[in-house]
Amino acid sequence: MAVTTPTTPSRTGNGMGLRFSGAWLPALVAIVTYLTLPFGRPGRPFLTIEPDLYALALGAPLLWIVLLGAVASFVVSLLRLNTAVRGDVLIATGTVGLGAGVLWFILSATPFGIGALLTLAALALVLGHALSESGRIQGDAFIATSILVVSLFVILFIIYPLFTVLRAAVIIDGSFDLSQLRRTLTHPLFFFLDNPRSQIDEIGLTLRWGMVVAVLTGAWAVFRRRSVPVVALRLVLGGIAGLIIGVLLYGRGALPTSLLTVAIVAPTCTLLGLAFALLGQRARFKPIRRSLDVISVLPIITPPFILAFAMIFLLGRRGIVTHGLFDMSTNWIYGIPGVAIAQILAFTPIAYLLLRGSISSLNPALEEAAQTLGAGPWTTMRTITWPLVRPGLAAAFLLSMIESLADFGNPIILGGDRNYLATEVYLSLTGRFNPNEAAAYGVVLLALVLGAFFIQRLWLGGGSFVTVTGKPSSGALAPIPRVLEIGLTLVLFVWTVFVAALYISIVVGSFAQLWGVNYTFTTRHYEDFMRAGWPVFLYTARVAAISAVPAMLLGFLVAYLVSRHRFFGRRFVEFGSLLSFATPGTVMGVAYIFAFNTGPWLLTASATIIILALVFRNMPVAIRAAVAGLAQIDPSLEEASTMLRARSLTTLRRVLFPLLVNTLVTGLIFAFVSAMTAVSQVIFLVSPGNQLATVLLLGWVEQGQLGRAAAMGTILIVSMLFTILVVLGLAQRISARVVRVEG
Amino acid sequence: MDSTTTVVKGIQPATVDLRGLLKRFGKDVVAVNDVDLFIERGELLTLLGPSGCGKTTILRLIAGLERPTAGQILIDDDDVSRLPAYLRDITMVFQSYALFPHMNVFENVAYGVRVAKRPKQEIEERVHEALAMVGLEDYGKRATNALSGGQQQRVALARALVIRPRVLLFDEPLSNLDAKLRKRVREDIRSLQQRLGITSVYVTHDQEEALAISDRVVVMNQGIIEQIGSPHVLYTRPASRFVADFIGSANFIPGHYDGQAIDVLGYRRPHVQDMASGPVTVMVRPEAIEFAREGEEGVEATYLSSAYLGPVTEFIFDIGGVEVFATISGLGMSVAERGDTVRLRFNEAGVSLLPPE
Repeated sequence: MAVTTPTTPSRTGNGMGLRFSGAWLPALVAIVTYLTLPFGRPGRPFLTIEPDLYALALGAPLLWIVLLGAVASFVVSLLRLNTAVRGDVLIATGTVGLGAGVLWFILSATPFGIGALLTLAALALVLGHALSESGRIQGDAFIATSILVVSLFVILFIIYPLFTVLRAAVIIDGSFDLSQLRRTLTHPLFFFLDNPRSQIDEIGLTLRWGMVVAVLTGAWAVFRRRSVPVVALRLVLGGIAGLIIGVLLYGRGALPTSLLTVAIVAPTCTLLGLAFALLGQRARFKPIRRSLDVISVLPIITPPFILAFAMIFLLGRRGIVTHGLFDMSTNWIYGIPGVAIAQILAFTPIAYLLLRGSISSLNPALEEAAQTLGAGPWTTMRTITWPLVRPGLAAAFLLSMIESLADFGNPIILGGDRNYLATEVYLSLTGRFNPNEAAAYGVVLLALVLGAFFIQRLWLGGGSFVTVTGKPSSGALAPIPRVLEIGLTLVLFVWTVFVAALYISIVVGSFAQLWGVNYTFTTRHYEDFMRAGWPVFLYTARVAAISAVPAMLLGFLVAYLVSRHRFFGRRFVEFGSLLSFATPGTVMGVAYIFAFNTGPWLLTASATIIILALVFRNMPVAIRAAVAGLAQIDPSLEEASTMLRARSLTTLRRVLFPLLVNTLVTGLIFAFVSAMTAVSQVIFLVSPGNQLATVLLLGWVEQGQLGRAAAMGTILIVSMLFTILVVLGLAQRISARVVRVEG
Repeated sequence: MDSTTTVVKGIQPATVDLRGLLKRFGKDVVAVNDVDLFIERGELLTLLGPSGCGKTTILRLIAGLERPTAGQILIDDDDVSRLPAYLRDITMVFQSYALFPHMNVFENVAYGVRVAKRPKQEIEERVHEALAMVGLEDYGKRATNALSGGQQQRVALARALVIRPRVLLFDEPLSNLDAKLRKRVREDIRSLQQRLGITSVYVTHDQEEALAISDRVVVMNQGIIEQIGSPHVLYTRPASRFVADFIGSANFIPGHYDGQAIDVLGYRRPHVQDMASGPVTVMVRPEAIEFAREGEEGVEATYLSSAYLGPVTEFIFDIGGVEVFATISGLGMSVAERGDTVRLRFNEAGVSLLPPE
């Protein structure tokens, strides 16, 4: 991250300005790095010094302009001028230097070297000082540079990679060509109707579905005595709905399969999430709430496909329930049922967390008012509670939908003969070696997910991170009707038993000789893991830890800029961060492959690209934590600091950081844990020597090495749980001390 | 705060000159609309107005916390319009005090000198000096949340003074205090400001506070300046109906002016004001209305209702179809029936003329 240079502002005799610009130091740094370090690099390693690749040796006219810009900036920054005027001049010199450098890389497609990185970063810092001193950006050089750098990062690491996916879908061998897109979209792997059960052809069957539903909805409208246009509209809508049902039932390709799974998973997750949220807040029986707290932590510490993997132990061909208990040898979990169950188990806690917020922000006084007006529990629930939680339900529904569409791990393990959009992105690139096809799948998936995402945003109003966090208001909460509570408790009980069985089966599986055949105790799998998996596990932990720090810092910076500063491009930064949050991991993975395989950004097959992918993937997690933390702090504290002549970096260090220790550590831990458990976005980016734990684990599951996979899964879950409990406990103790001072 | 004669060395008060200042939020909201204002060296000038009138925006523009859309801000002839806030020799006392919760009183006050990287000894001296000025010498080690509201306010003041600003800004500094304390603290602020001779801009929506504390008051409404003047002038010669209504309360009765006297429904009272002859609106303060004694000139009024408040009685009369509100002290009238006719006279000090409606 760019850091302001520590210059002492010397005030002129009676004026209030800077005698010289703070840009002099970065300008000097730019000149020095330009002259002493290589601008390009011969291959992947960064730190090779190749004499031919010095800017002076390369001798390109554009590179001379870079030097000119740096020198001019240096000279101008020392001139005695009005601060604002000098700032304007420095904007010009800085832009010329930076622009020439960037242009040269785009045109020459040379992999950039360490010198270029430092020189251009220093020029960005010059520009930051200039923008601040000229008054073009309200804020000091740190703020101005941060805005610049964050915007550049959003363009480079979020927008540009996604753009390359779009480009790869329609541009083949350098020319615009829709044939690949057409071929992909008409291929049976993508969309295919099939009716294996009876003689009637599938298209006819689908049409019949359309007709039946149309007639039913039309008849219902007539029965309700609606006007003629309404009846007609209902007929059409019913017909469309019927056709969709037909397509989902008889469709075999990736699109119908993904959508059918969504149609099962999203409503189920939402309803279960609602049930748990209601129980969590209003159950009469306390232990229920404790168990819900546990449920809410599970998805964080568990790699997304671990439950799918555990389901093989329980319900697979040699599963302890299916084979051990009922002596069946069935493959039924491979396909939509298995994927749907695994996704429901994985995503319900997410829906629960979202709905818990909206349930707890309900004002109990409203329900009390209804009851004083003579409404019973059921009436209250129907007329007051339900309409108020409806927006929350919509949000939970759409979020489950997005998660289900983007899910990669579960379908790849349990998909069986059904293919999914997210897995096809991967398979077409790594199995069929067809990048254009992968891009086409990526575009379809991206369109679906972003569509759902922005519908959700529109629905809830505003595209801001700053969500309304409901304060739990005081007042007696109306207990839910007893019959409902018993029913819901039963659901929760079944759920808990099932999930517990899954987790236990992983632990047991890691100690059993051969699952389904020989259950004698062994530590063989752990020995295997120590040999083949431990170095990878350590490497993963290192990469995750390295990525967590910039993810947290960048996330905090974005949150701080977006919620505390108004600047040109603020919406853009916000949008970019949302985009990186909403984009399915596989699409982002493919995008990074496309974007960073050639040219100045030759980064593939390195740890750097994995770290970059993880940083920008997990940045939104940190943003959310930081926004929530910042919302608790009165902005006038920062203004007071500014008014006492502290620069914003000083304000951050002395005021905001001490008050946000807890938030920052939490953000760091979540960024680390989610980097450890990530799979979809990094599966493309691993390379020999840069293997990651989750990817290795997935490979073992696919090869049928279930024992050692269970061992690694156990170690992953236990270590993540340990990290969260210990470190968060520590952070809470630190912040408790700060709060005690606060009162 | 005791009034020991501590004088802060090194405060050099500045003048502030606002020229054609304009601030727009978004496209449509004009918070400050082409304001010209000159603030004298060492004076305490108050910006007074209802919420949303632009007074706080002007303060934040001077501070540098907002950028003007157009216009200039000059501090002692230096144009600082585009200068970042942290480079201006200006500081601010906030409505919420904005004391740093993770620092004790000493650290809070020391913040500004610490940030300026002064030597340790100087920091201690200046903090003690500032704390002594506000009468909190022995409170350095206290946590800020262990202080009362008034003490917190004084810490905030000490924290601002410690950096020896050339202009001191107050953003409704008393609005979080209860009524009694508010009077005390405002007197403290005023006496400290006069002792230090520091140029101050003070924002409030409380007219009593504004009149009590200021050298001059600027009354603002909807982004523009309605009137600038001393508290006395604003109260006795308001320039507009808005100012008359906002500072104190006022009755507006149609009348006629001939250069020497006002005529209201045949009641002639001598009055001299720079105003063209002809129809006028006569502004009468409620406390300037009295019952006319026998034989005295007065205006016919109809008694409508009254409320006995102890020291004064509030009356509502009808004068020529206009409802008039009066606060009359003593036992002016004990019994009256609705509809009774009375004769009222206006006291010179509470009468002023405005252009006719």
